[in-house]
Amino acid sequence: MTNKPDKPDNLDSDCLEAFDHLYAYLNGELKDPKDINMIEHHLDHCRSCFSRAQIEREINERLKKTSADKTPPSLQNRLKKLIDNF
Amino acid sequence: MSDQDDKKAFFSRRIDDNMHSLYSVALRLTRNSADAEDLVAEATSRAWSSLDSLEDRDRFRPWMFRILHNCYISDYRKKSVRPAETAYDELSTASDDSEIASLLIHQTDEFLNWWANPEREVFNKLLGNDLLAAIESLPESFRVVVVLINIEGLSYDDAAEVLDVSPGTIRSRMNRGRTLLQKCLWQHAQDAGLVPNCNQMESHS
Repeated sequence: MTNKPDKPDNLDSDCLEAFDHLYAYLNGELKDPKDINMIEHHLDHCRSCFSRAQIEREINERLKKTSADKTPPSLQNRLKKLIDNF
Repeated sequence: MSDQDDKKAFFSRRIDDNMHSLYSVALRLTRNSADAEDLVAEATSRAWSSLDSLEDRDRFRPWMFRILHNCYISDYRKKSVRPAETAYDELSTASDDSEIASLLIHQTDEFLNWWANPEREVFNKLLGNDLLAAIESLPESFRVVVVLINIEGLSYDDAAEVLDVSPGTIRSRMNRGRTLLQKCLWQHAQDAGLVPNCNQMESHS
């Protein structure tokens, strides 16, 4: 990976515009190629936003794995009885 | 097999396929395992009663989430002892663009800098221990959007259908919910002494 140029850590207008699209982009919901190019260009040139996007990607990955609450056997039995009686 | 048997077999199979997701979403909504079980059971009963309204059987999953959410609103939210939450996105008349801008501009530099460059060890510890606690601390309207999309994998359009709002509202709530999630993680990090506390930093300056 090439070094990202340093910039002030606070946000400028380009960062804000990119951020408006960031979650839609990371969630695969950004459809307009112009918007996709804009955010990818910004992430290539802004070290802070690149880093924030990486963190958000990691959170996305971690969230996908958190749906691990086991369904209690009591609920499985309850629903089975419920449906049997329909 | 009669039509009724076919209908029941379909319903039973789809409830079985989605039971884990339904319980998981119910748990994030009610934050209580007993209430979550009651909510899933009630939603299952209502879904069976209105199964004929499901026009496309391939849309069972979002249809079922919508019934679950409606049950939560009508039966559980009103008896919650938690104080009513501010409907952030409904209070604002600003466009989505200025919403995310105003949200970020008002954050402290310390927070924004940390978000852009957290210590990896600290961040990994936060993700391991505190992510679910941070999710549960989000206001309900943001929490449910993050859960449906980022945990259960629904599209923005499907989440909009489940919650009966526009896709633009989903997008706005996602932006705000995830920004608030970062703030919650930052707060957890401060409370756990993993990063300097802002107040301490100010008092030493």
